[in-house]
Amino acid sequence: MRRFTRKELVLCNGEASASVYIGYKGYVYDVSRSFLWQGGKHFWIHNAGADLTRSMGQAPHGEDMLERCPIIGELADE
Amino acid sequence: MAKVTREMVDKTGINVDQLVELLVKNAAAELTTYYYYTILRANLIGLEGEGIKEIAETARIEDRNHFEALFPRIYELGGKLPEDMKVFHDASACPPARLPQNPQDVKAILKVLVEAERCAVRGYTYICNLTAGKDHRTYDLAAAILNEEIEHESWFSEFLGEGPSGHFMRRGETSPFVGKFLQ
Repeated sequence: MRRFTRKELVLCNGEASASVYIGYKGYVYDVSRSFLWQGGKHFWIHNAGADLTRSMGQAPHGEDMLERCPIIGELADE
Repeated sequence: MAKVTREMVDKTGINVDQLVELLVKNAAAELTTYYYYTILRANLIGLEGEGIKEIAETARIEDRNHFEALFPRIYELGGKLPEDMKVFHDASACPPARLPQNPQDVKAILKVLVEAERCAVRGYTYICNLTAGKDHRTYDLAAAILNEEIEHESWFSEFLGEGPSGHFMRRGETSPFVGKFLQ
């Protein structure tokens, strides 16, 4: 499994056709195919390319939503 | 725009522009769901499908009613609907409730329906939490819609064998909660 640094993850923010990845609990999820992550944005609150572990508590959904998206790597602790 | 209305909401600390965007996204979800449910309902046929068709139709009509009830609030708060229908579709707060690959698979259609309703329940719960005790009119509207979305979810969930809905389907009029906003 590929290991992402936070600097690498930031580049996967969906801008300029970049991949749309997010970090969550040490893993990197590919949300590129998610309708709700078009353009790397999730509502106005979240941008792709970030570790969203702390944000889940405020979301109107649980982490089960992420089960629909493939894990494509691990997020390195820096 | 209702200037003082917006000002009052703004004074509670709510970011009105973000609230309006959220309302637009949910209005888009309602209207697109109305469209996609039309296709789902049309494909609910045969011995299994016919039993679900009426409830799907009620949910479809009520989702359209939700759009009708939501959009005036968007304008009151100084917002507007996108001029481009495609932009509106893509702004939806919920993914498209598309017909499954096998349109004869009634269980797969039910899963699409229940997922759409669950997305709506999450969305309106979020709006209620955001506006409770602050923006009374938006809260009242979102709570009314939430009541109906919860019933939709429970109907479809019951058909999926997840347990009783606890109530009967509509008898007569649709939108018992949202109706007051449609006068």
